[in-house]
Amino acid sequence: MDAQGLQMTQMNSSPGLFKRNPPIAGEAEAIESAKAGDAEAFSRLYALHKRRVYTLCLRMLGNVSEAEDMTQEAFLHLFRKIGSFRGESAFSTWLHRLTVNLVLMHLRKKGLNLVSLEETINPSEDDAPKRDFGSRDPQLAGSIDRVALERAVASLPPGYRMVFVLHDVEGFEHNEIATMLECSTGNSKSQLHKARLKLRELLRHPEPSTMQDSLKETVK
Amino acid sequence: MTSNKPIREVTCADFQEQLPDLFAAGGNGVPEDPDLMEHLKTCETCGALVRDLQYIADQASLLLLPTHEPSDNVWKRIQAEMNSEPTDSTFHPPTHETK
Repeated sequence: MDAQGLQMTQMNSSPGLFKRNPPIAGEAEAIESAKAGDAEAFSRLYALHKRRVYTLCLRMLGNVSEAEDMTQEAFLHLFRKIGSFRGESAFSTWLHRLTVNLVLMHLRKKGLNLVSLEETINPSEDDAPKRDFGSRDPQLAGSIDRVALERAVASLPPGYRMVFVLHDVEGFEHNEIATMLECSTGNSKSQLHKARLKLRELLRHPEPSTMQDSLKETVK
Repeated sequence: MTSNKPIREVTCADFQEQLPDLFAAGGNGVPEDPDLMEHLKTCETCGALVRDLQYIADQASLLLLPTHEPSDNVWKRIQAEMNSEPTDSTFHPPTHETK
């Protein structure tokens, strides 16, 4: 995806995303003022959205320094492109799509774990969830708190984490994820399922060292 | 006379193979296919698996609310970049700290 691709097609808003991204008081006025060049208004938009954007970057990248860099990039991109926001979707949805695209582009450029996204999407056999044909473990219902889930998500292999965050947390549809990750819809569905299976494993049998490492990396 | 279609034997492997599509179809892992449904009703392992996966998907919304905050340096760096960039607008970066 090139920079042009980041100008973000304003896809028709999906009800789910609007539900998850309800309008924020004062946001519409701030957007219009920022479009007209009001820097105070832009700083209000930053204040309103910095935590959500940063948290998204942190979850996708698992690294504070990179997450801060990408937060900066996302808002600079917003600064340059806010004039093209036409309000066809919720502003937060638009901004999050912009952020996701930037993070993915960053990961592609890094080449590392994303020499190809397919590679990241397909973790090694060791990381793959075990299939469950008869284990007798306590049910999870009622046992997960936010901290435990956050830690478990942080310790997922990058490809699983990416699809889980985009679908289950951010509310993107499989076809949108497939477009963003340049994979098939079936691949997105399959990776989400494996991510949930892996989370189930991690939540039922936490690996102390892995959890600790992930937490350290997240809060570093 | 009613003709009862013989129930196809569904193994746990068969059932779990279908799960990604069952969840993606919006049914929360609950199948419409009578053979798969019969397996789900009678198999404790697959029943627990479906309940757990539904629960994990539901709990993911716990993570929607942001809990992390970028350091103040991020806004400072954004301001510095905004100041140094020529734009087609008339932006004048604010002088105060963003809360």
